[in-house]
Amino acid sequence: MASEQLPKSVNNLEEQLTELAKQKQEYLAGWQRSRADFLNYKKEEIKRFEKIINFANQGMILKVLPLLDNLYLAEKNLPENLKKNQYVQGLLQIKIQLENLLKNQGVEPLEVIGKQFDPQFHEVVEEIESDKEIGIIVEEIQKGYLINQNLLRPAKVRVSKNK
Amino acid sequence: MAKILGIDLGTTYSAMAVIEGGEPKIIESKEGARITPSVVSLTKTGERLVGIVAKRQAVTNHQNTIYSIKRLIGRKFTDPEVQRDKKLLPYEIKESSDGGVEVKMGRWFKPPEISAMILQKLKQDAETKLGEKITEAIITCPAYFDDSQRKATKVAGEIAGFKVKRVINEPTAAALAYGLTKKNDQQIVVYDFGGGTFDISILNVTSDTVEVKATGGDTHLGGDDFDQKIIDWLVKNFQKDQGIDLSKDSLAIQRLKEAAEKAKIELSSSQETEINLPFITSGQSGPQHLYYKLTRSELENLVREYIDKSIDLIKQTMKEAGLEPKDIEEIVLVGGQTRMPAMQEAVKNFFGKEANKTINPDEVVAIGAAVQAGILQGEVKDVLLLDVTPLSLGIETFGQVNTVLIAKNMTIPTSKTQVFSTAADNQTSVEVHVLQGERPMAYDNKSLGRFILDGIPPAPRGIPQIEVIFDIDANGILNVTAKDKATNKTQSVRIEGSTGLSKEEVEKMKKEAEVHAVEDKKKQEIIEAKNLANSLIYTSEKTIRELGDKISAETKKEVEDKAESLKKEMAGDNLEEIKAKTQDLSQSLQKIGSQAYSQAQEEKKGQEEAPKTQEAEYKPKAEEAGHEPKTGQDKNEPKAEEGESKEKE
Repeated sequence: MASEQLPKSVNNLEEQLTELAKQKQEYLAGWQRSRADFLNYKKEEIKRFEKIINFANQGMILKVLPLLDNLYLAEKNLPENLKKNQYVQGLLQIKIQLENLLKNQGVEPLEVIGKQFDPQFHEVVEEIESDKEIGIIVEEIQKGYLINQNLLRPAKVRVSKNK
Repeated sequence: MAKILGIDLGTTYSAMAVIEGGEPKIIESKEGARITPSVVSLTKTGERLVGIVAKRQAVTNHQNTIYSIKRLIGRKFTDPEVQRDKKLLPYEIKESSDGGVEVKMGRWFKPPEISAMILQKLKQDAETKLGEKITEAIITCPAYFDDSQRKATKVAGEIAGFKVKRVINEPTAAALAYGLTKKNDQQIVVYDFGGGTFDISILNVTSDTVEVKATGGDTHLGGDDFDQKIIDWLVKNFQKDQGIDLSKDSLAIQRLKEAAEKAKIELSSSQETEINLPFITSGQSGPQHLYYKLTRSELENLVREYIDKSIDLIKQTMKEAGLEPKDIEEIVLVGGQTRMPAMQEAVKNFFGKEANKTINPDEVVAIGAAVQAGILQGEVKDVLLLDVTPLSLGIETFGQVNTVLIAKNMTIPTSKTQVFSTAADNQTSVEVHVLQGERPMAYDNKSLGRFILDGIPPAPRGIPQIEVIFDIDANGILNVTAKDKATNKTQSVRIEGSTGLSKEEVEKMKKEAEVHAVEDKKKQEIIEAKNLANSLIYTSEKTIRELGDKISAETKKEVEDKAESLKKEMAGDNLEEIKAKTQDLSQSLQKIGSQAYSQAQEEKKGQEEAPKTQEAEYKPKAEEAGHEPKTGQDKNEPKAEEGESKEKE
């Protein structure tokens, strides 16, 4: 190699070296960060599992609620002469069984009649005229529930619209 | 680095996502929902509500509950779309001083201000969930939005406190979510069938841009129309059967509406569903109950006209773009309604290929916005866009079984190690046969290569430890190495293109696995039972040999007879018999143990050997396997010296 070219090729190599050193540092940092992200993710996974189990339970409970809704409807529609009927009493006992099952899961029904409508917990299906103040819940169409103090399902209600 | 929020600001629902750990992830609202209704309201007490809470009080507050603001944003008051919606929307709309639109919610607001309230709630919820401040966002909008509408969307973001890095097209975001923008010169169709609108977009992807070639659709066609068809069907049937018109009963209609949507959703995964509403109303003869079965094909008949209409609209749009179905390389499905099998089928038949639908269609646009955010931040460097193995990789083990080491859909590069052993006594070589596929039997899968590792010191079967390492690099090159832990001797094979199968080939293999799943499972059970039987026979023979006359002649004969019987059974494929006889033999073998123990108690000296070996014998999950010179599969429980799967990172 000619002697003039030597310093030039050395320069080239030096440049390359700096560039590569920079790249290496970047890759190493990226790798470390990725590793850390992964380890952190694993830690969060454990918390996530707990949440998922809770969530799955809630999903199941939400599916069971319509059955209870219909049992309440049936009870509401019972004619007077059947209220003391033995067979009916037996069926209503099953309703109580279902209520207890939910209670054991931390499910609590919402008390809504006479309360002020609150969209955090209630869903209005209709406004009707009544002698109560505006915004007071006058009828419960479908029960609402809390689970472990958090909203599980809002109550469907009829609200007063006129004095 | 602060995160950029990807936001799908929808007409009826909005969603948001960020990149976490290199992957896009949907962020839940404060209420724990993955989507948030695009509804804003001002209550009589002056409180502003956004999202699901606003929706819940809509009935009492029609005039001050604003929804579908997206239909008005950035438009002129004289726009036909605005005039049409003005008749349908319950809140007041007027012309603003600059010819735009204003809506009344307490006082008069411009649409971007309303959208900003939705965006603000999303921002707050995201900051709470992530525990950090968010200042930047990517917001999506329909591809047909003009400059004025896009600007108004950006302004909405700014009012909400975001620096809006980009306003990107919804179909482009959907394509990004599926990673379809990496290839050059692709035509992509995005079929977006949401709750209230249908949008069709044709995209052209080049190496540096995504161009919208044509758009079409129907701004008033959506999943809600499908629900209505079911409601109408129920009302009609009830009228016919009970003589009562449910459409007059607002509470009944509410229940019908919920039940109709639920039934529609169920029919996407079942062939038949029931709509069961006891005490739906009261008639002259007492309470009335509604109970109908709805089949999938009946539903398809009810909504056929809507599906056909959507296909006609595709045809129209394709014509405008001057394209034929065969010109389209990829199709993407967006919107919850696209979960319906009949709709997917219609789209597939039109284009002659499967659409991309694996990402939740309600979330795919938000996911895509997050991916865009990631690209802007350089978090998703090209070199870090990783592939996955489309099919499982494994080796053939005793009984012609496919033992998977790297499962399908694992991100590469990755490495997996497992320790195997020999299947016969004094086996000095093992053959490593590398397989690709999902079927449990080796011969049903693709053979990628094979090699032999020899020089294994003679030993009883199950004793040698052969470490098999599967290593795939970022380019999809698979290196399989087998190492004898005793001699450190290794042998390996390098296989290229293990991820390079075409999409069609991969789909075909997956489908075959599904189709044969039941019979494959049966085969697998038989093989496992036979392997177990084999081990037990080997163990019983070994035990008899080693203990010799320490066993009573009677017991010895019993065990030998049972082993013989089991051997005969193994020639056939009667799973129940094999299991029963294995159990039989196992019980007899245990007798030897108790005999030896009681003997040991009588003669304490010189009996240390016997109890130990017997104890080792009883674990039916033996290390040993059968006759041929193939690697013996180590049984289920990974004991330290037998089977280990280590992931090298």
